[in-house]
Amino acid sequence: MALTSFWFLVFVLGLLILYYLVPKKMQWWILLAGSMVFYLCADVRSILFILITATSVYFGARLMQKISDDQKARFTEGGLSREEKSTLKERNNRQRKAIMICVLLLNVGILCAFKYLHFALEQFNRVAALFGGQGIADTFQWVIPLGISFYTFQSVGYLVDVYWKKIDAEKNYGKMLLFVSFFPQITQGPISDFAQLSGELFGEHTFSYHNYAWGAQRMIWGFAKKILLADMLAPYISEVFQYYYYYTTFTLVICGFFYSVQIYADFSGYMDIVCGLCQMLGIRLSENFERPYFSKSVAEYWRRWHITLGAWFKTYIYYPIAVSKWNKKLGKLARTKISKRAGMNLPATVALVAVWLTTGLWHGASWGYIAWGGVNGMFIIVSLWLEPFYETCKKKLRINESAWLWRAFQTLRTFALVTVIKVLPEVGTLRQGLEYWKCAFTRPVILRNFVDYFPYPNLLDMESFQKAETLGIIAVGTILLFVVDLLQRKKPVREYFNKLPGIVRVVLMASLIAAIILFGNFGQGGGFMYAQF
Amino acid sequence: MDELMEILNEINPDIDYETEDNLIDGKVLDSFSIVSLVSEISEVFDIDISPRYLVPENFNSAKAMWEMIQTIQEEE
Repeated sequence: MALTSFWFLVFVLGLLILYYLVPKKMQWWILLAGSMVFYLCADVRSILFILITATSVYFGARLMQKISDDQKARFTEGGLSREEKSTLKERNNRQRKAIMICVLLLNVGILCAFKYLHFALEQFNRVAALFGGQGIADTFQWVIPLGISFYTFQSVGYLVDVYWKKIDAEKNYGKMLLFVSFFPQITQGPISDFAQLSGELFGEHTFSYHNYAWGAQRMIWGFAKKILLADMLAPYISEVFQYYYYYTTFTLVICGFFYSVQIYADFSGYMDIVCGLCQMLGIRLSENFERPYFSKSVAEYWRRWHITLGAWFKTYIYYPIAVSKWNKKLGKLARTKISKRAGMNLPATVALVAVWLTTGLWHGASWGYIAWGGVNGMFIIVSLWLEPFYETCKKKLRINESAWLWRAFQTLRTFALVTVIKVLPEVGTLRQGLEYWKCAFTRPVILRNFVDYFPYPNLLDMESFQKAETLGIIAVGTILLFVVDLLQRKKPVREYFNKLPGIVRVVLMASLIAAIILFGNFGQGGGFMYAQF
Repeated sequence: MDELMEILNEINPDIDYETEDNLIDGKVLDSFSIVSLVSEISEVFDIDISPRYLVPENFNSAKAMWEMIQTIQEEE
């Protein structure tokens, strides 16, 4: 059941009616039933795997909680010496750690088997061929379970939080299953933490016209971004990426720009749809975007793009590695042997390398994605080490950091950098991604026709009104996307919108719905881009 | 507390740590600063700061950091 399909709207309508009709204590049951129906409709074969994750994480967390509670009770009883307490604590910590690792390995193992087995076998066979050995035939034909990357990360986060005693284990299995499978976030996130989402999912919600109206507005805006802009751009991006070797500088650079527009409209459109839907249910989902294309450095961009994935990596990979005992020792060594700054930066650098290689692999099992992660990480690490040099340069060149021209330069530079990096894994193999930019930087030919700059499929064969429609929607959509982000700098754009007279709002929303129905590129844009991750 | 203030001033001397209580949420300290801070605090106070303590609430102000140090010392 695609989020942009008619049947999804019917499903949402039915769910909303039931949700507000049942007693408030039972609302989460409706969400659970809805999530199961959604998953079964989308991917009936994979239900087993999401159940394995929910069940293993539920029992693992409950066991860890029991050990902690028993220890607390034993300490409260008294009669234990300091040494006995210490021994008991150590033994319990070992047991809790063993449980956590077992459940972690099971779930990460399932994720890796589905996502990386083909890639691992391919690499193994290549190495085997180099040494004249025989490879392993890759005969595994399986469909990756819907949302496995997202629900596995969310579940692992919950498990580790219980292990760290940040939260108590959930007692109700149904609630755990809902946390893992909540349908609005199952396909593309956001990756929520239990402490935040559980309060929203299991709380009691009263119908509010404000939430209903604002949520519906956001959903419509999300549909417009996805169907009118992202899906309208899809055939053009696909055409240029497939035949990039025919094109020259201008075409490839323009396509790179529009790819950035497409992926942002697609992913943020999805976020608008699910956040709007959740607002109608009285549920607040974590946001994934904070006007990312207005960032002034690659590091800042990654704090504002796919925020919940970045937060997950920071909490569960970056910090544990950066503050681990061995890494602190490494920092200490660098401080005494090299410099104080090296001592401060080295632990963060080691953790960043791990984070960015994992981020690359999370996005896809290919060298292109690994390189994509590596290049992103490299920019952030180089900026970290060269920060004093940048500061000296800025002072010597007397750069006023608050000047709008300097800030505009930083924003455009960051946008250009992330666009170049983004395209790398999307063209095909890593070699093709590199060739794409090689063509872009080595073929500065002046073109004669507009179509040569913007080779939208079949543009020349289109009737003039069709041409105007396609190009007009792309131009207006792209401008609106950036203008809305610019307006959001001070406050949500819906606050401006909802100050307009009622009749104006109704006409604007009705026009947007009409535009989606009349001009939407239904069936040609494919699914949501982030669902493949 | 003086030792903690010394560490903080070394990381960024332009901040008034006596009054600032929005160091993380206000984006004054980033994740790189946190790692340096944790490393310094661990060494000076001879404590092991587990990743579970690395949440914004524990680093938003010098007072919160001091309370975290005391909690870890009590636990150890």
